Amino acid sequence: MGRLLLSVLALALLSGGPAQAADAPPGASSCTGCHAPMKVTDSVIPRIAGRKVADIVTFMREYRSGAWPSSVMGRIAKGFDDQQTEAIAAWFGAQPE
Amino acid sequence: MATRRTFLKLAGAAGLAAPSLASAQGAGRVVVVGGGFGGAIAARTLKQLDPKLSVTLVEPNPIYTACPFSNSVLANLREISQQQFRYDGIKGAGVTVAETSATAVDAAARTVTLADGTKLSWDRLVLSPGIDFDWGAIPGYDEAAAQKMPHAWKAGAQTVLLRQQLQDMKDGGLVVMSSPPNPFRCPPGPYERASLIAYWLSIWKPKSKLLLLDSKDTFSKQRLFQNGWDQLYPGMIEWVPLSKGGKVTSVDPATLTLVTEFGSHKADVANVIPPQKAGVIAAKAGVADRTGWCPVEPVAFESTLQRGIHVLGDAAIMGAMPKSAFAANAQAKVCAAAIVELLAGRAPQQPLLINTCYSLLAADYGISIAGVYRPDKGLLAEVPGAGGVSALSAVGGLRGQEALYASSWFRTVTAETFG
Ligand SMILES: Cc1cc2nc3c(=O)[nH]c(=O)nc-3n(C[C@H](O)[C@H](O)[C@H](O)COP(=O)(O)OP(=O)(O)OC[C@H]3O[C@@H](n4cnc5c(N)ncnc54)[C@H](O)[C@@H]3O)c2cc1C
Repeated sequence: MGRLLLSVLALALLSGGPAQAADAPPGASSCTGCHAPMKVTDSVIPRIAGRKVADIVTFMREYRSGAWPSSVMGRIAKGFDDQQTEAIAAWFGAQPE
Repeated sequence: MATRRTFLKLAGAAGLAAPSLASAQGAGRVVVVGGGFGGAIAARTLKQLDPKLSVTLVEPNPIYTACPFSNSVLANLREISQQQFRYDGIKGAGVTVAETSATAVDAAARTVTLADGTKLSWDRLVLSPGIDFDWGAIPGYDEAAAQKMPHAWKAGAQTVLLRQQLQDMKDGGLVVMSSPPNPFRCPPGPYERASLIAYWLSIWKPKSKLLLLDSKDTFSKQRLFQNGWDQLYPGMIEWVPLSKGGKVTSVDPATLTLVTEFGSHKADVANVIPPQKAGVIAAKAGVADRTGWCPVEPVAFESTLQRGIHVLGDAAIMGAMPKSAFAANAQAKVCAAAIVELLAGRAPQQPLLINTCYSLLAADYGISIAGVYRPDKGLLAEVPGAGGVSALSAVGGLRGQEALYASSWFRTVTAETFG
């Protein structure tokens, strides 16, 4: 996990850190349809770029288990296993806020 | 990192063309046809991922009119101008925009011909032309008839025309809609439209009725829609499924009559959503099959009929993924990343994709369907256990919250694409 995060960070730095790095792990590019890479006015959907990796992982786990109630995220989180979730979280965590 | 061997295996399994190594010798050339929800973000993402690529977006309209939320325009909740987006942001991102149509594709020579006579060469071609109508599938329904009985399934003048007809209708009038057979653009769209027309009628013309003639026996988010109709608009919407004579077999635009297998209905306002196929350039490029849609492999969405041509969005056969703007956006970003890899001679990764489609039943009443997709046996398949529709019984402000999420999604996706 820590190593993965570091390598993702390193890649982001090397490539100049665009929000759509080619190294985005599977699934990550779909998230930005709702969780904007840039600031969007009048959106109630939280941005996740630059958030704490551990927080993203915890939210996704709790959405998946239903411990944290949601409208749609529970249905989506169930499509990602722990490893996939961690990779996506690490990638978003490394994006500029 | 995938090795060359795993790539060859994967390429073989997925039917991908051998990498052309274009960017190894310099910058690669990618042409994207269609500046809608698939093509516009594909072009932009390609340039963002590899600024050395030469990316040309071919799109005849200087202003794109988005379909999502166009049903809210019918219900007078929005103006058509709020649906419209220009290509300045995309040009600013370094994409060359050719404001014309693609008229022919030569897959062997790797060229595309434009309406102004220019010929563009490409290393990879992306087609995201959306839909065209299968004119003639319903006898009597042609382009002239659409001026009397609008489809409003490509947003713009048609949307404004249908709204005007609704506003001109007398109270107590009959609105007749017809919904096409699968597959078609936006599976929940006709039912969202029926809901929002009923929403508007219940305020302004409450004695009116809406008859929804369907070429299917089931539809997307059906129980949520039907429960909502009973609760919000009791007695106003009558849905006629295929088995009860819902299939429209011909129309007469002069008398606004829709004929079904079981009878005929004279409308005061008629909205015919005709059967559809991939945008016509797909057939000209040789990437559409006998169904009228385009088969693609599930990793880079490369055509299984023509090497080097990728097809996105509504035009493509995407397995379990529906024809939505959300899906076209997700596919485009996956395709762009895969093309960058392919041009560099590397293997594209096995993707995961998400779709979420919101529908409104009233201004503050939203429902959704979601799914997660991955390649499986040559098609995009749903990841089991994930996805599904909104809870049938809404606790607290769930429907209101989903309506807010719907408009937030629209703002975000249009900002990401055109901003
Ligand atoms: C009423 C309605 C409501 C909808 N609501 C939603 C919703 O809430 N959520 C959602 O996710 N989806 C929704 N959709 C579906 C969504 O609009 C489509 O799925 C989406 O537009 C597909 O994107 P696309 O890129 O495939 O096609 P399009 O967005 O249609 O883009 C195609 C573009 O290609 C251009 N083009 C075509 N041929 C050529 C050519 N030969 N040369 C150059 N350019 C060409 C066209 O001018 C057009 O700009 C709705 C659709 C409708 C009709």
